[in-house]
Amino acid sequence: MTDATHGAHRPRDPHGSPPPFTGYRIFGAVMVLLLLIALAVQVFELFDGDNRTVPEVRWGSPPTSEVQSGLSSVGATDMLRERATLQGPRDIYGPSPEDDRSFQVGSETRLNTEAIPNPDGFLTGAWSTPDADTLPLVRGTDRVEGISSLPYTGAAIYERPFARDWRLGLADIATHLGALVILGFSLLLALMLALRGRVPIVRGKSGRKVERFGWFERATHWMTSVSFLMLALTGIVIAYGDTLILPFGDALLGSTGWLATWGHMMFFPSFALGVVIMFVMWVRHNLPSRLDVNWLAKGGGMFSDDVHPSARKFNAGQKLIFWSVILGGGAMILSGVLLMFPFFLLDINGMGWTMLIHAVVGLIMIAIIIGHIYIGSVGMQGAFWAMWSGEVDRNWAAEHHDLWLSDMEEKGSAR
Amino acid sequence: MARVKFLCDTDRCIECNACATSCKNENEVPWGMVRRRVVTIGDGEPGEKSIAISCMHCTDAPCVAVCPVSTLYQTDIGVVLHNKDTCIGCGYCFYACPFGAPQFPRSTLFGTRGIMDKCTYCAGGPEENGSEAEFKKYGRNRIAEGKLPICAEVCSTRALLAGDGEVIGEIYRERVVARGFGTGAWGWETAYYPEEA
Repeated sequence: MTDATHGAHRPRDPHGSPPPFTGYRIFGAVMVLLLLIALAVQVFELFDGDNRTVPEVRWGSPPTSEVQSGLSSVGATDMLRERATLQGPRDIYGPSPEDDRSFQVGSETRLNTEAIPNPDGFLTGAWSTPDADTLPLVRGTDRVEGISSLPYTGAAIYERPFARDWRLGLADIATHLGALVILGFSLLLALMLALRGRVPIVRGKSGRKVERFGWFERATHWMTSVSFLMLALTGIVIAYGDTLILPFGDALLGSTGWLATWGHMMFFPSFALGVVIMFVMWVRHNLPSRLDVNWLAKGGGMFSDDVHPSARKFNAGQKLIFWSVILGGGAMILSGVLLMFPFFLLDINGMGWTMLIHAVVGLIMIAIIIGHIYIGSVGMQGAFWAMWSGEVDRNWAAEHHDLWLSDMEEKGSAR
Repeated sequence: MARVKFLCDTDRCIECNACATSCKNENEVPWGMVRRRVVTIGDGEPGEKSIAISCMHCTDAPCVAVCPVSTLYQTDIGVVLHNKDTCIGCGYCFYACPFGAPQFPRSTLFGTRGIMDKCTYCAGGPEENGSEAEFKKYGRNRIAEGKLPICAEVCSTRALLAGDGEVIGEIYRERVVARGFGTGAWGWETAYYPEEA
């Protein structure tokens, strides 16, 4: 049953069945499958134990005979050990040998490098276990900062053991859990589309329109949303380039990385402006009210075609999106500006925390906005036109924003 | 395989800054950046110590783990190197570094950091070992020549030791036995034995 069979101006019989949107359900099911695979990969990534830094390049002396293939690590070890012993007491080891080598090292390269074919964690594991001789040398850190006669920012910092935990925060917690949140939330939406289906206009399209958003509101919305999309995409390149782009080559990752860094900066002003305008423009419609409790208690009518809790211009769900954008976006703008001017206001620890907050809030924002895009496009029939043409169908307005529609009728702005 | 480390004997360091200076000269480190520096702790008080600090070429290096574009990588002798062609100047390595080693030029707009530079253990970078391109980007590749970092080899009091960890550990232990005191290998726990902490 399609809309065309009903004619543009004839309201549908209220007891007739709404369109089933089978195509949307199939699309949702396919997405569920794809997202399940992506989630499985991400969960595997979480536990595959490759978060240790492992050596990827090996040193060795060039082959000395035809029989030998590849670099010899034995020669390299001997050379480095022999040289290191020269630092010992002079009365035992004698003076440094006469060094007659010139700067031109090209023909005198005695050690060379090659990539390790399958890097593994063996060396890292061996390195991190001190032997009985070394253990007494190793002691905890009780000194962190002193003074330095060198005129550089941060030159006086000696040691910050906390920095090792920052790595846990960013590399493990923020990126891994962020990916889980984004993929998991998308999976929920896809499941909803597959099982619940698209939310229809139950009474069908009336063909009569009512203006919902003016041109200024729409322009602001699309400026902010395009900026957000670009910020999110460039941010994802920075956060997940290692996983998503590196398989296609180091050089590609380098160039997309640069584009992402500068793009991230370029789309910030329009985003910030948009958030500020939206706050001023819509805040009076988004103050919490008693209606919202009722709306939330009924789940926004999301789970049944026949339940339509009352709402004014914005329902509780839209209010939540609004406040997420204002508060989350505000946090992103503030932390982003602090990151753009390193060490202007904050020291190194402050910068580290700001970076973590920026990453975590950004990932959560991406998940929230995916939900917003879903309900505004495939998730609900007729919702998209509110923000695109600015006019919505009267029946859609009556079902989802009944109190707002009667206000409009009083004002006479509904046709 | 040798596992190279740095060890600064704080009972010997006299804060002459020769390591910092010779490093800048040997590697032609650009303006505004310093790969090795000397920090004095408890200046003017009893028990004052100076220590030469740079990238320690950590085990399970945190900078490599957080780098979003895999600019940083480790070699099998423990040296952590960087690739200036892929670096985007995000600064993550600086936040993750326990020793403040990564350096950034302050030349670009919006405080964007420009391309990172750090101690290479005088081992160059991903360019061909000993090539001019490598020298211009990363400084001298002394390891390829079979030498150790200039900062340690130039140290007049032999406070700063470089090379295979077992060898320099032994040199230090002999020293401590001979003179009867020693304050241990500063920074080794954080740099090389994070799991002991």
